[in-house]
This record gives sequence, C-alpha cells and structure tokens, in this order.
Amino acid sequence: MSEPVSDKGLHTRDLTVRYGGLVANDSVTIDVEPGKVVGLIGPNGAGKTTFVDAVTGFTACEGEILLDGTRIDALPPHERRTAGLSRTWQSGELFGNLSVAENLLVAARAGGWRTLVRDIFVPRRKKSDDVVARALDVVGLGDVADTLARDLSLGQQKLVGVARALAGGAEVLLLDEPAAGLDSMESQSFAGRIRSIADSGPGVLLIDHDMSLVLGVCDTVTVLEFGKQIFTGTPAEARTDPTVVAAYLGAPVEATHA
Amino acid sequence: MGTILQFVVLGLGLGAIYIGLGTGLLLVHRATGIINFAQGAMAMWGAFVFAQLRLDGTLVFPIGSIELERRPPVAVAALIGLATAFLLGLLVHYVIFRPVRHAPVLAQVVVSVAVMITLQALVVLRFGPNNIDVDSLIPEDSFTLLGADIPTRELVMAAIMVLLAAAVWAYLRFTRAGVATRAASENERAAVLMGFSPDRLAAVAQVVAIMLGTVAVMLGSSLTGLNADNYTLLVVPALAVLLVARMESIAIVVVAALLMGAFQSLINLLITKPFWPQWAQSGLDQVVPFAVVMVILFVQGKRLPSRGSLQTVRLPDVSIPKFKPIPAVIMLVVGVAALSFTQGTWRFGVTTSIIVMLLALSYVVLTGYLGQISLAQGAFAGAAGFCLSKVTTNWGIPFPISLILCALVATGLGMLVALPAFRIRGAQLAIVTIAAALAIERFVFNNYTLSPPEGNPIADATLFGLNLGVREGRDLARISFSVMVLVIAAILVWMFIRVASGDTGRAFLAVRANERAAASSGIDVRKTKLIGFAISAFIAGIAGCLIGFSRGQLSAESFSVFAGLQVLAVAYLGGITSVGGAIVAGVLGPLGIVYTLLRGVFDLGEYYALISGLGLIITALLNPVGIAGATREQVAWVKRKLSRSGPPPSTVPEAPAPKEPSRV
Amino acid sequence: MPDTLLETEDLAAGYNGVPAIRGLSLSVGPGEVVALLGPNGAGKTTSLLAMVGLVPLLGGEVRVLGAPLGRRKPHQIARSGVLLVPDDRGIFYGLTVREHLRLAGRKADPEREAQVLDRFPVLRNLDSRRAGLMSGGEQQMLAIAKALLARPKVLIIDEMSLGLAPKIVQEMLPAIRDLAKEDGIGLVLVEQHIELALSIADRGVILNHGRVVLTGAAGDLLRDRHLVEAAYFGADQFADTEGTLAG
Repeated sequence: MSEPVSDKGLHTRDLTVRYGGLVANDSVTIDVEPGKVVGLIGPNGAGKTTFVDAVTGFTACEGEILLDGTRIDALPPHERRTAGLSRTWQSGELFGNLSVAENLLVAARAGGWRTLVRDIFVPRRKKSDDVVARALDVVGLGDVADTLARDLSLGQQKLVGVARALAGGAEVLLLDEPAAGLDSMESQSFAGRIRSIADSGPGVLLIDHDMSLVLGVCDTVTVLEFGKQIFTGTPAEARTDPTVVAAYLGAPVEATHA
Repeated sequence: MGTILQFVVLGLGLGAIYIGLGTGLLLVHRATGIINFAQGAMAMWGAFVFAQLRLDGTLVFPIGSIELERRPPVAVAALIGLATAFLLGLLVHYVIFRPVRHAPVLAQVVVSVAVMITLQALVVLRFGPNNIDVDSLIPEDSFTLLGADIPTRELVMAAIMVLLAAAVWAYLRFTRAGVATRAASENERAAVLMGFSPDRLAAVAQVVAIMLGTVAVMLGSSLTGLNADNYTLLVVPALAVLLVARMESIAIVVVAALLMGAFQSLINLLITKPFWPQWAQSGLDQVVPFAVVMVILFVQGKRLPSRGSLQTVRLPDVSIPKFKPIPAVIMLVVGVAALSFTQGTWRFGVTTSIIVMLLALSYVVLTGYLGQISLAQGAFAGAAGFCLSKVTTNWGIPFPISLILCALVATGLGMLVALPAFRIRGAQLAIVTIAAALAIERFVFNNYTLSPPEGNPIADATLFGLNLGVREGRDLARISFSVMVLVIAAILVWMFIRVASGDTGRAFLAVRANERAAASSGIDVRKTKLIGFAISAFIAGIAGCLIGFSRGQLSAESFSVFAGLQVLAVAYLGGITSVGGAIVAGVLGPLGIVYTLLRGVFDLGEYYALISGLGLIITALLNPVGIAGATREQVAWVKRKLSRSGPPPSTVPEAPAPKEPSRV
Repeated sequence: MPDTLLETEDLAAGYNGVPAIRGLSLSVGPGEVVALLGPNGAGKTTSLLAMVGLVPLLGGEVRVLGAPLGRRKPHQIARSGVLLVPDDRGIFYGLTVREHLRLAGRKADPEREAQVLDRFPVLRNLDSRRAGLMSGGEQQMLAIAKALLARPKVLIIDEMSLGLAPKIVQEMLPAIRDLAKEDGIGLVLVEQHIELALSIADRGVILNHGRVVLTGAAGDLLRDRHLVEAAYFGADQFADTEGTLAG
C-alpha cells in the first residue's frame, strides 16, 4: 500500500486489538481521505466493529491513529469526536426519548460549566439550528425532526444516527452498518446520500453487509477476515478476487452431499 | 494481645450476621440480578416474630396477633420465625421482585429500598421502636486463652453461619438447580433455551436467602438486642462484603464478613484508648464499610461483574420542561394563599412541603434527568444544615450568604460522591451512596463532639432588618419565614427549568439514555455527571439549610439515612422526572401537608412511614412514571382524544407502517 | 413418526412491532436438514428466535409436532424438544463441561451421554475444564453436545461457524448431519459458509432484506451458484431470474 498523498483524513497504522488471547484486529492499516468512501467488509466476527470501536476510543488498541496528521490515540472518545472523528452505531444507539432534532442538537452543542451558566442566565431561545436542519436534509429526514427517536423504524433510526454523526461537523465519518434494516430500494437511495456526503468534504468509512451498496458506492474496499486485512483494492477487483469471494461464501467444498 | 484476641472473637458475632446477609445478597443477585437493599429488613421480620414469642408468647402478624397460652419452647419459636420468613420470601419474590426482574436498575433499586423502609416501619409499628432483648439461643460460656476471656457464643455463631454458607455453596455447586442458577446468572437466555425457568430458580434463591438471613439475625439478636433501624442498616456492611467478593464467591463472602466484623470490633477497642482523639470516636466503625466499598470500587472499578438479563422495560419518560408563565403564577398564588390561610402546625406543614419539594427536585435532577442513583441526598442536605449551624452561630455570617455558602459545601460533597460515578453506575452507585450516607450520619451527625446532643442552634435569618425567623412567641410558623422559603423555592425551580430545557438538560438526558452514544456525540460524560451531582447537591443543600432554619436547631434525626430514603420514596412516588412530580412529592413528603393531615385529622401519624413505603412499592410496580407522570399521560390522552374529533387520526407512533418494497 | 417436526407458515416477526422477517414458510421433518442462508440483517436470527418463542410473532404461525406454539413460554418450548443453539453458543463460561452435561438432561442418561460423546471425543478429556477456557471449536462442540444430550426433536443452530476456522466447520457439520439422520432429528441451520451449508443440507432457503428470495433443493442451489451469488452481491441481475427455483 502506498503512502497517502496528504495526511488529511483518517489514517491508521498497524492498528491491533487484543481481547485476552484473541487478536480481533491484526495490524490494520487503512486510509480514509477527504471526499473518499472506503468500504470495510468481511464476514461476521471479522473485527469490523472492533476496528471502529478502537479508532473512536471505545476499545483499547495498539498502533497509530492519525486524524489530519495528528495522533489521536490517547484522546478519550468525546475529544476524538470534537476533533472531527464521528461514528454511528450498529444498533442505532439513539437517545430514545429525545426528538430527532434534539438527538442532533446533543452532538451540535457541547455541554460544560460555561453552558450551565449560560443556560441559567442567558438561555438560547432558538431550539433548532441550521446545522441540524442541514444534517437532516442530507439523510432526507427533515419531516420527522420533531418525532421521538424511538418511534422511528429501525432503518430511519440508522439514518438519524448518520445525521447525528454529521451534526457536530465531521472530518471523517465511520458508519457501522447504516443500511442494515433498510429494504433494497431504501438501500439504493442511501447509497446516493453517502456519495453526496463524501462529495461535500468528509471522508467516509462504510461497513455494511449489503454488498451491492458497498461495492456500488465505495472508492476502495478493505476486507477483513479473522481480524486480518486480506484485501485492499477497488470494488471491481473485490468482486472477482477469489479470497474475497471465499471469505463470504466459503471456498468450494468437495461435494459430500448425500 | 489477649484483649485484642477477645475483641476479634467478639467481632465474629457481627461477622456471622454479615455472612448470613452477604450470602443471601449474593444468591439473590445471582438468581435475579437485583441487589436487594431490603435483605436486612427482610431477615429481621422472622427474628422479631421469634423474639416476641420468646418474650411474652405473642405471635405477631403484620395485621393482628395471637396471644399463646404460654411461651413456646425455643425450637418451636425458632421454627415459627423461620416459617414466617419463608412466607415473606415467597411473597416478596412473587408480588414485588418478579415483576421488576426485567425493569431498569433504577426501578429495582427503588423497589428494594421501598421494601426496606416498609418493613422497617412495619416492625416499628408492630414490635415497638425500642430494643427487644433476646435470650441467647446458644449457651453463654467462655474459656481463657492468652490470659483473656474468650466467649464461645460468638465462635459457635460464626461456625453455624459458616456451615450454612457452605451448604449454599454446595447447592450452587452440586445440585442441578444450583448449577442452573449459576448458568442463568451468566447467560439467562441460554438457560431458558435449555428449558429452565429463571423465575422458579429465583424464587428458590430468594427464599433460601431470607431464611439464611433470619437464622443469622436470630442468632445475632442476643448480642445487641433486636432493633429495627440497626438491623435494617446492617445490609450496608453486608453490601460492602458482597462487593469484596465481586458478587461471585461465597468463600470470599465468608472470609470478608468475618474480617469486617472483627475489624469493626477492633476499632471499638481502639477508640477507647487514651491516645485516640475524642472527635473521631463516634461511628468510626461505620466508616469502615464505606472505606471498603470505595477501595474496592477504585481497585476493581469496571471489572465488577453485573448480571446480564434482557431489559424489556424502559426508564420513565422525561419531557423537556417549558417555562409557562401562567401556571407558574398560579402555583405561586396557590402557594402564597396556602401559607396565608393557614397557621401554626398547618402552615408549618405547608412550609415543610415546599422544602421537601426542593429535596425531591434534587432527585429529579440527578435521577430523573441524569439517570444516576444516589441514596445520599439526605446527607448532602444534612451537611449543609450542620454547616449552617456553625456558620450562623460561630461565625455570624449573615443571610443569604450563609445559605449559599452552606449549599456550596453540600455541592462540594456531592461532587466528591460523583467521583465513583465515573466508574460505576446503577445499583453499585446506590451501594456507594448509601454507605457514604451511613458513614456521614454516624460519624458526623451523631458525633457529639461535632454535633452536641443538646442540638445545633441556628440563628434566625434576617434580611435588611426584616426578621425571617420561623418562630416568634407562640407562632410556630411565621408568614415571613414561609414566604422566604416559597421565594427561594420558586427561584430554584425557575433556574432548574432553564437548565433542564437548555443544552445542559439535553446533555443530561443523552447521558442517561446512552453513555457511549453520548460520548461518541462529543459529550464529556464525566464532566456532565459532575455537573449533575453538583446541581443536585446544591439544591439538596439549600433544602437542608431551610430545614435548619425551620427547626431553629438541628438534631441528627432530621437527616438520618431513613429520612433521606423516605424523601426518595415520595420523589419517586410523585414522579422522578418532572417538577410536577417534585411538587407532588413535597405535598406527600415527611412532615408535609399529607403528614399533617394524617396526624392532625385522622390521628394516623405513626402510619406515615408505612403508608409511604407501601405507596412507593405500588407506584414502582404499576406506574413507573409516578403520580405526576401518570397525570400528564392522562392529560395527553384526553387531548389526543379531543383533537381526533377534528383532523384525521395521526399514525400510531409505536408501529410506523413499514414501507412496502416495490418488488414483491 | 410425523412427517414434519417443525413448520412455519407465513411467519413474520420482529421487535417493537417492526418485522425483521416476513412471509417465511418452511418445514423440517425427521432427519431433514434445512439451511437458512442470507447476508447479515436478512432476518435469519430473528426467524430462529421466533421459532423458539424469544421474539414475538407479528403474523403467521409456528407449529411444533403439528401443534401451534400459542402462548407457550420459551423454556416450555425448549422442554417440548425444540432446541436452539444461539450464535453466542449458549454456553456458560463459568461452568465446567461436566456441569453443562448435567444441566442438559433432566435425569442422568449415561447411555445417551456415551453416544453423544462418541461424536465429540475431544470433550471426554475436558470433563472438568471451564467452558471459558476452551477453544472456540471445543465450545461449539460442547454447545451442540449438550443440546443433543437432551434428545431434541428439532435442533436449530445459529451460525455455528462464527469465529471458527473453516477446517473445524468442515469436520463438524457433516458429523452433525449424520447424527440428525440417525436419530431422526430435524435440523435447521443458519450459516455464513454457504457452500458448506448447502453441501450437507437437503433444502436451502435464502433470505435478503427480511424476505425469502430463493428456495430450492440444496443440490439445485449449489449447481446454480450464480443465483446465490446474485442474492448476496447485487440485486440487479437477480431481479430477472427470481422465482426460477422458488417452490
């Protein structure tokens, strides 16, 4: 793999995660440059979510994580977020009894002692935000802004998760199975939205099992199997690469059929 | 050396009780995932029945009693005591704990606290508030070792409890049901898939646990006599023991329990030494469990296992409050009217209700919004109250600076308690806070050096020459004092609404809903918790100061652990998630309007604690949003009904219509 | 012996009233092996959980030995002979192998135990080993052994291959198939390793996006591999050929 042309975006170098004796990520090196969509795929249990957890600070890891050329591996999760590294969760993980717009506001406005003082003495009158409206527009959920998050369908919740990740301003988006739970038509239109997010600036790392989505939208694809990086290349190469096909469907077996 | 040995052995008696309670706690936790704060109170009932039978042959039931012709022999009385324990265990499991098995931890903690204060109140009602002295079940004897009298009774007690704990260990290890209990505690779903009913296993565990505790309390009652408060709170050191054992190992429970008992006994020896400072004598043994809990949590922190089970019930809903001028003015007018049309005890009751409303509001901030459990709010209030006594009488600091200063002391204490909340949450946080509350109560409030038994006088407040004192001559509750309380309460509520509806409140709700999602949205979870504890303790501190002003002088009872838990009870009862709930809680709260009514009109004052405990159990089981929340839901329901007659019905939010894919 | 041990008819199931699987009809008879396949999020696990009562039905019916599940609780369904080995393997890390086997049968049944352990001889040497200390393959063998020990009528295995080296899977699956045939157990498998699953199955059902997209005899599916690949890698070419194998 060649060195990246710029150090903008997210770069991991030999990122390794161990759970006891198990190596869940083994020297994973990935570059997510601004405006690019990188697919991270692999069978269940390959270590994809572990990778996102490690990069965003929810799991301890070895190796280097660089965001726009700065090491961020020592920062706690919320500081990585404010530095511009934004993620979604496989299971949505929305704040269920907040409205969709409020979910986004949580990300858009940081709390703290100063916020507390301001809340008491000079509260912000405006309960919405341009940032929020724009983020909701990107995922096409402007019309449910005032609905409680938990009342949405799973697919919509995933999209709110994406909007929430966008709302605080993001240099790099890590999307963990954002399209699981969407039907195939929704999934197709979601692909277009991801492309337009990337075109507007941020780099996107996309984990998904919907192969047509991943192979259709990504610029490059990295395949993990048992924590190891077994392939990195273009979607077209991935489609025909025997190791990739074997990882997904299993290598052809000697017929033992009774 | 001999004396030390003697005290160690004496402490084994206490250790034996901890074995009984600690093993029971462990068993119940493994079988249900619930940490049962009522373990001591539940174990105590059967022992009281036993003791009363031995004392005068009266068989006492929760309602009514039978006078036996003569006192039954020890064995018969003990069997009857154990039989009542058995029935109580079954009742509590099937009626109370089983329904909350899959509820959020908060509801589980609240329910077990409710059982605890209900049983404590019931014991006081049925058996009286005083110590009952009990003949020892074990013959008293002693032998001489190293020149000291070593009692055999404590040794025999410890031996019996060790054997019983070993029996429980063998049950978990060698019987199919016991192995299944362990299996289910690790992976409940997998146990179900093998055909086990976790409910039945839990019932067995619950019954075994209460019987074990009852035996321990029966044996132990001869040491100190039976006392409702003491035995209810013996659960705190037992919880410390449980944490030492990482909620897993019965062997460690046994060892830690005996060590804890011995160590507390040694401390009681230590403080009699001439070199020991007088101010540090009282209640030092109660600081031990707290210290143990803190050390364990800092050493083991996140590695403490919590039992996994599928949560199916969600936390009570929170709606972000809006400041509405008209209801606010109405509330104020109602408040002023209530104060001006009443006098004497009634006005005092209304004033107390307003203060309790503030205490409940401190729970709304911390528990309702931030989702953290604290059983130490009473201690925060008390710290401010005692501080107020020093500040006003010794230093002469004027009002309102004294008020704010003391509330800030409580704030500091609250932020200190927030530190463990960085690493733990849920029931474990409840353990820390109740241990802290008990340690503060015994070591500070009950400490005659720090807080003289004749009371801590608090100087009346004055502002610009206006006397804001509570009493004058025969007037028990002066209007100017009551109005001051109302104004302070109104300011705090108004500030709370601003915080809760602002960015801070939203951050609280985000942390409550999902800590890791909050962190991934850029929220500093630790700082947010710190802020929440600070606000909550500040409000509790103001309330504590107002309680101080309203009494003129403070005694430890005003801020006992039970007083704090009772406020938690009414706060949850009213509705832990809203200002409305806090107001309801104030009305219901101890010494408040409803209490005054019960006492003055129905002469039922002594039943107040029991009624509030039972009310809390029922609320927690049936209606987790509390009275205010339920009312709000009713209003919303009516509004929906009314609006439906106009525009067509909106879609039901629970089940958004799935979009049909075009290709079928 | 009845023809079908377990059947689902037009099953729909999911959480919070939102179906994750719709219109699933399948049946499995004694000694039959049905493979349920499809990419992640297709609704496979939800289907299995619905069959054992752990996810509420939103429509359709599940029948065990001809009788609908009705309001039976999950542990009662398990006792009636439908056992699920979930994707977390459903074993208990703190318990020894012996204790697992103890839990499996209501009464001690040395004959059956010997019979099962003959299939997984590795477990004989691990009698007092805690499950948490065993390798993934050993854990999976334990999970299946304890299920077989209970003499199930239907055995449902979710993602047996998860986290296992392909070699182990290739050894275990045929062994399980043979045992099912011998004992007349109906076997339902959810597998990622499609080739392997189809090579031992009698029939295959392929799900995607919560619906059945392809069913057929396992041999046919293996032969028309491009259809299976289409179901996984892209929907475009698939749309034209749908139904050619269905039914």
